[in-house]
Amino acid sequence: MFAHTPLRLTTLTLLAIGSLAYAFVAGFFGLEILAEIAILAILVIALDLVAGFGGMVSLCHGALMGVGAYAFTVAANEAGLGAFPAMMLAVALSAALAFVIGAICARSIGIYFIMATLAFGQMAYSFVFQSPLFGGDDGLSGAPRPDLTAIGIDLTDSRAFAIYAIAMVALTYLVAAATLRSGLGRSLVGLHHNEKRLRALGLTVWRAKATAFAISGALAGLAGCLAAQHTQYISPGLLSWTVSGEALVVVILGGLGTLVGPIVGAVLFVVLKHEISAITPYWHAIVGLILIAVVMSRANGVFGFVEARMAARKSKPVLQKANADA
Amino acid sequence: MTADLGFWVLQTLNALQLSMLLFLLSVGLTVIFGLMHFVNLAHGSLYAFGAYMAASLAGVLGYWGGFLLAPLAVAALGAVLYFTLIRSQRRAGPMAQVLITFGLIFVAVDATRLIWGDLPIGIAVPAVFEGQLALLGVTYPIYRLFIIALGLAVLAVLTLVLTRTQVGAMIRAGVDNDQMAACLGINVERMFFLVFVVGCALAGLAGAVAAPVLSVTPDMGLQILIPTLIVIVIGGLGSLKGAVAGSLIFGFVQTFGAVLLPTFNSVLIYALLAAVLVIRPEGLLPAKG
Amino acid sequence: MLETRTLTKSFGPIHVTKGVSLRLEKGERRVILGPNGAGKTTLFNQLVGELTPDSGTILLDGADVTSLRVADRARLGLSRSYQKNTLFDGLTIGENLGLAAAVALGKGQGLWRDPLQSAEVRETVREVAAQVDLAAFLDMSVKAVSYGIRRQLEVGIALATRPKVILMDEPTSGVGPEMSKGFHRLLKALPRDLTVLIIEHDMDLAFDVADTITVLNYGEVVFDGLPEAARQSQMLKDIYLGAWEDA
Ligand SMILES: Nc1ncnc2c1ncn2[C@@H]1O[C@H](COP(=O)(O)OP(=O)(O)OP(=O)(O)O)[C@@H](O)[C@H]1O
Ligand SMILES: [Mg+2]
Repeated sequence: MFAHTPLRLTTLTLLAIGSLAYAFVAGFFGLEILAEIAILAILVIALDLVAGFGGMVSLCHGALMGVGAYAFTVAANEAGLGAFPAMMLAVALSAALAFVIGAICARSIGIYFIMATLAFGQMAYSFVFQSPLFGGDDGLSGAPRPDLTAIGIDLTDSRAFAIYAIAMVALTYLVAAATLRSGLGRSLVGLHHNEKRLRALGLTVWRAKATAFAISGALAGLAGCLAAQHTQYISPGLLSWTVSGEALVVVILGGLGTLVGPIVGAVLFVVLKHEISAITPYWHAIVGLILIAVVMSRANGVFGFVEARMAARKSKPVLQKANADA
Repeated sequence: MTADLGFWVLQTLNALQLSMLLFLLSVGLTVIFGLMHFVNLAHGSLYAFGAYMAASLAGVLGYWGGFLLAPLAVAALGAVLYFTLIRSQRRAGPMAQVLITFGLIFVAVDATRLIWGDLPIGIAVPAVFEGQLALLGVTYPIYRLFIIALGLAVLAVLTLVLTRTQVGAMIRAGVDNDQMAACLGINVERMFFLVFVVGCALAGLAGAVAAPVLSVTPDMGLQILIPTLIVIVIGGLGSLKGAVAGSLIFGFVQTFGAVLLPTFNSVLIYALLAAVLVIRPEGLLPAKG
Repeated sequence: MLETRTLTKSFGPIHVTKGVSLRLEKGERRVILGPNGAGKTTLFNQLVGELTPDSGTILLDGADVTSLRVADRARLGLSRSYQKNTLFDGLTIGENLGLAAAVALGKGQGLWRDPLQSAEVRETVREVAAQVDLAAFLDMSVKAVSYGIRRQLEVGIALATRPKVILMDEPTSGVGPEMSKGFHRLLKALPRDLTVLIIEHDMDLAFDVADTITVLNYGEVVFDGLPEAARQSQMLKDIYLGAWEDA
C-alpha cells in the first residue's frame, strides 16, 4: 500500500527545492527544459497511479494528454472560453474519456489491457489526425496561457511559466497521493494483487477501475493543457501511442509504483535527452538500450533501486539476528 | 462509380493484397504469443529489417536473391534475439516484454538509420512480374497479384504443417495447454525456438515482398506494428484462423473504408477493434476455449 | 437463510452438480463432506456467483440471487474463504483484513478518507485478528509468514466482511493438528446468528461443530441429516472407506 516513507518525503523535498531554485537562476533554455520536465512529470504521475498501483498498464495516456491539449486549445480559441475554464473543460473531457475507456477495458487484463488501451489511444489519434476540425496533420497553434496579471504574474514569461508548471506538478502529486490513500486507492492496489478476492468481498470492480482511470486521465489531460500552453502549438503526434510508450519508459526508469520515482525518471529522461541529443542523433537507440538494461536488471528503476537498497540495509540487522537464533 | 464492377474488383484485390501482407506479419506474432505468451512489439522492426535486407541484396544479387536471403537474415537476427532477450524474458510478464521489445524498436529504428540512412529506398519490381494483367475488366499490377498468391501459398503451407504434421500437432498442443505439452515430453524449448525463428522469417518475407510496393523507410516497422496488433487482437491471440480472419477484416475495412468513407477511414478500424474488445475480449477466433 | 433448489452444472460431459437442493436456517452450522472431486468447491462457486449454474435457483435470505453478480451477493452478506489461499500477497496481514473490512463497509470506492484509518475498520481488524489469532502478525507481509498463518488469514478475510452467511472451503487443509484445533475453537466462538457452511475432510471437526451434515458424491446429495445419523450410515462408510478409517 502507498505510504510516504522518509526517503520519499526527502526526495520530494529535494525535488521541490531543487526545481524552484533552478527556476530562479536558469536562463531561457533551462527554463524551457524545466517546463518540459514538469509536463512530463504530470503525465507519468498520472500513468504510475494506474499502471504502478493498479496494474493497469496503459498505452493510451499520450492520447488522453493529447485530448486535453486539443480540448483546451479549441475551447480557448474557438469557443472563446477563458484559459482556466478551458482547462477545467479539457480536464473533465479527458477524465470522461478515460472513464469510458477504463470501464470498457475493465474486463481485460495483462496484455489484453495493454492492447485495448493502445487501440483506444490510436482511435483518438486517428480521429484528431483526420478530422478537419482540428487542423489535421498541421495541428493547431495559438493556445493561450492563463492570464494571472491580476495577481502580478505574467505567464508569458518563461520563468513564471516554469514555476507555474512546477506548482501544477505539486498539485498533481497531491491529487495522486490523496487518491492512493482513499478507499478507491486502497481498492486499486488490492485489485492489482487479487481482483477475484476483491470482487468476492463486494467491490464493483469495473467501477473502481474506471474511476481510477478517470482520475489518472484527468491528470493526463492537465498535462495536455500545460503542453499546449507551453509550446502554444499542438499536433496529433501528441496523441500517438509512442508518446504513451515513452511515458511508460519514464515510469519504468524512475520506479514503477513509487509515485516519486517517475518524477525522478522525468528529470533524468529530459535532461539525458537534451544532453545525448547534443552529441549524437541516435538518442532513441540509447534510451532503448538503457530501457532494456533496466528491465533486464529487474531493479525497479532508479528510485526503486535506491528504495530497495535502503530497505535491505534496514532489515539486515534483523536477518543477522534471525540467523544467529537459528 | 461505385456501381461499376471494375471498381469492386480493383478494391477487392487491393484489400486482399493488404490482407496477405498483414497475414504474413501477424501469423508469426500470434503463434509466438499463443505458444510462448510472449508479446513482441519489435515484430514490425523485423519486417523493416527484411525490407532493407531485400533492398540491399537486390542491388547485388537481383530481386530474387534478396527475396530468398532476406527472410534468412531476419531469421538469423531472430535467433540472436531469442537467445539474448526473448528466452530469459519469457516468464517475466507482459509488462517487461512490452518494455524490452519497445526498447528494441528504438534501437532498431536508429540502427537502420545508421546503416541505411534516413532517406527512403526503393527497389524495382522483378522483371517477370512487371506490367499489368487484365482481368474482370480491370488491369492490375502483376506483382501485387504475386503478393496475394504468395500469402495464400504461405497460408496453405502453414495450414498443412499445423494440421498434418507432428510438429504442427505439438505446436497446437502447446498453444492449447503448455503444461500438457511439457508433460507429453515435447521438447518445448526447441519448439519455441523453431516457432520464433519461423515467425521472424515470415516477417522478413513480408518485408521483402513489400519493399517494391512501399518505400523502405526507418519507421516502416513502427507503422506496420499497429495494424498487425489490431489484426491479432481482432482475430484472437494465438490462432492461425484468427490471424487469417483478422487480416481479411483489416484489409477490407481499411481499403473499402478509404474509398467509401474517406473522412472516418482510420477511425473505422479502431472502432471495430473496440467493438470486438467489448463484445469478445478474447478476439473473434481465440486459440483456446 | 441460504437455500438452493435443484442446482445443476456440468463442464462439458462431466456433471459436477446434479440437482442439489439445500436449505440452511439462520445460525445453522452445516458441514459438507464428500470425496475429492465430488463437486463441493464447484457448489461454493455457484453459491457465491463465480460460476453460473446451468439450472436451478439460489436463495439468500429468501431473495432469489441466482442472477446476481459476485459483488452484489457479497454485499447481501455472503462471504467465502477459498480452498486455495486467495490473499492480497503484497500487503501486510493488517492491510488484508482492513481492505476486506473497508470494501464490505462500502468504503472501497470512496475518494476522501483513508478507510484503513477509520475507527470502524480498525475495530473490525482488531476483532477479526483476535478471532483468527493473527493479532501478533498484523504488520507482517503476507509473503513473510508461514502457510498456516496464511490459512488463518484466508478465513480472517472472509470474516472481516462481517457476513450473515459464511462459506469456508476446507479451512484446515494442509495445517497441523494444533492449528486445526484452533479452528475448532474459532468456529465454536463464532456469533450464534452467523450461518456457516464448511467443506471439511476432518471428521472430528465435522462432527464436533456441525448441526447438520450434507454429503456430496459425484455431484449429488447422498446424505442430508444430523451428525449422529451420518455417523451410523453404512452407505457413507462405503463411499468414504478410506476417509472414515483415517478419522
Ligand atoms: N472449471 C472447470 N472446468 C472443468 N472441470 C472442472 C472445473 N472445475 C472443476 N472441475 C471438475 O469438477 C469436478 C468437481 O471439482 P470440485 O473442485 O468441485 O471438487 P471438490 O469436491 O471441491 O474436490 P476437492 O475435495 O478435491 O477439493 C472435478 O472433477 C473437477 O475436475
Ligand atoms: Mg474443493
